[in-house]
Amino acid sequence: MEKRSILHMLDPMPHNSPFDINMAMDAGFEVLMPYSNVKLDSVYALTQDAIFSRSPAGVKRTGIFIGGRDFALAMDMLDASRQAMVPPFEVSVFADPSGAFTTAAALVACVEKELLSHHGKKLEECTALVFGGTGPVGIATGVIASLAGAKTTLVDHLSAETAQEVAKAYNRRFGSTLDGNCARNDAEKAELVADTDIIFCTAKAGIQVISGTVLKAAKQLKVAGDVNAVPPLGIEGIKRNDRGVPLLLAENAQGAVGVGSLAIGNVKYQLQNTMLNLMLTTDKPLYMDFRQAFINAREIA
Amino acid sequence: MEKPFILHMLTTAKNLSPFDVNMALDAGWLTALPYINVEASEVQGLVQDAIFSRSTKNLKRTGIFIGGRDTKQAMDMLKTAKHSMVPPFEVSVFADPSGAFTTAAGMVAAVERELLTKFNTTLEGKNILALGGTGPVGQAAAVIAAQAGANVMIIGRQLEKAQAIADLCSNEFGDGKITVTAGADADKAEYIKTADVVFATGAAGIELLSAELIASAPQLKVAADVNAVPPAGIAGVDAFHNGTPIAGSISGAVGIGALAIGNVKYQAQNSLLKKMLNTEKPVYLHFEHAFEVARDYLKANAS
Repeated sequence: MEKRSILHMLDPMPHNSPFDINMAMDAGFEVLMPYSNVKLDSVYALTQDAIFSRSPAGVKRTGIFIGGRDFALAMDMLDASRQAMVPPFEVSVFADPSGAFTTAAALVACVEKELLSHHGKKLEECTALVFGGTGPVGIATGVIASLAGAKTTLVDHLSAETAQEVAKAYNRRFGSTLDGNCARNDAEKAELVADTDIIFCTAKAGIQVISGTVLKAAKQLKVAGDVNAVPPLGIEGIKRNDRGVPLLLAENAQGAVGVGSLAIGNVKYQLQNTMLNLMLTTDKPLYMDFRQAFINAREIA
Repeated sequence: MEKPFILHMLTTAKNLSPFDVNMALDAGWLTALPYINVEASEVQGLVQDAIFSRSTKNLKRTGIFIGGRDTKQAMDMLKTAKHSMVPPFEVSVFADPSGAFTTAAGMVAAVERELLTKFNTTLEGKNILALGGTGPVGQAAAVIAAQAGANVMIIGRQLEKAQAIADLCSNEFGDGKITVTAGADADKAEYIKTADVVFATGAAGIELLSAELIASAPQLKVAADVNAVPPAGIAGVDAFHNGTPIAGSISGAVGIGALAIGNVKYQAQNSLLKKMLNTEKPVYLHFEHAFEVARDYLKANAS
């Protein structure tokens, strides 16, 4: 009899994410095991515990998922897990803290697509602002967009110093070229937005970050994407299902379009599903993070 | 392909109750995931995480269960969960802290049946003493019975605490539409003289009503005890009693024991867990719904 598929879900937070649990079940894993409050130094032992109880043939039927809220910690855990493998005892590992990697990958891929179809531009030719840029989705969005060539700035709502420190740390580690800045009010937001090509809105759910007034200041905005699905939405004038719909409130930016949270969510959903499914169908173990997520997201978007 | 049924089980305690886990899986949930030590402030985040990862069609196959030990906390979490929904992204939620809601519902429904079958009357206007009534089961039973028209008095060792709990029942759980009163355990010899019904919901192994007091109750009709561990909470009522005459009662009162109540509780919890699986529109379930299904079960199985 074929063994049941098992996903070990490691999370440094007090709770696993119900989102990821639904996704993993729906992707076809038969048994989910939550591990919460997992410390980085436990990952090695947990991984080896998981690999040695099944034959190498069981590799496809066993996987490790790494959640949490923290980009860097999730990457550290992914590395630790990978180092713990003892080939041929090896299983796939997929890191997606707070779904940030797949959300960010979907956001950037959706925006990239509209950029090309509405403006004939590539990310390399554009500047981008990431509002909510120091949160998990914001950082991942920034790193992905920067590595794809956009001149990207992480925008914090309180401190430019924080944003710059985050940018530097991630540049050092992943080779991106992020900058950091802050915008505490509409005037500061308007100033930043005035000459950006792209706005990514990745701030907290239920908070309007970019109002119509701020959008009016935009002179060369081409695409704006918002991942917030809880009203009030993050960018005024972008509806949740919008996908390349003219952003009329940006009246001084010719041809600006918006992408809404459910349009992005739809790509994110397919993306996470695809990646979880890859773990079940692959012949050799996969180690997947935001980079793999963006590769797959581009195919889906 | 139809997506699997997933129940997210939240508890403020450090463990889920294995009772609830067994119940959930037996009711048809394919998988049940534990979230322990959940704080009230975390409920919104967990709920919104759960609702946005499935299509509205498959959200019907997703549910949230709220356990824990504290009645008020569970009701607050249920309210928070309900308010965290973003229609049409919405799932059903069922609160049953310590199984207290379904246990209380099972007890009150069983008492109601005995009143009808043995005394041809209802809960309306009956005087009920909820002995050891300050705990979760006592609170829920008091509210359910009061909502059905009974005059319920919660009896505790400390009058002040009992009064605080009675106020909570009246105002918070009863929405100000019922009045539950309070009395001190030291005065129960007095209260028993006018009692029609007694609920015993105290800690296991403590006798709350003696044979002597039973003999001094001129209008006692039904006495129910949720305690399955000897000594019984009510003298003369053992765990197996199910409408059995209580020895020494001058008014012909009958007893209902823990196993009879447990059976109705089991049916009620099973039925609500199934309701979450089968409902078209999301439902938000607590003690009131537990009482409805417990009543339905007893009506359908009236001998």
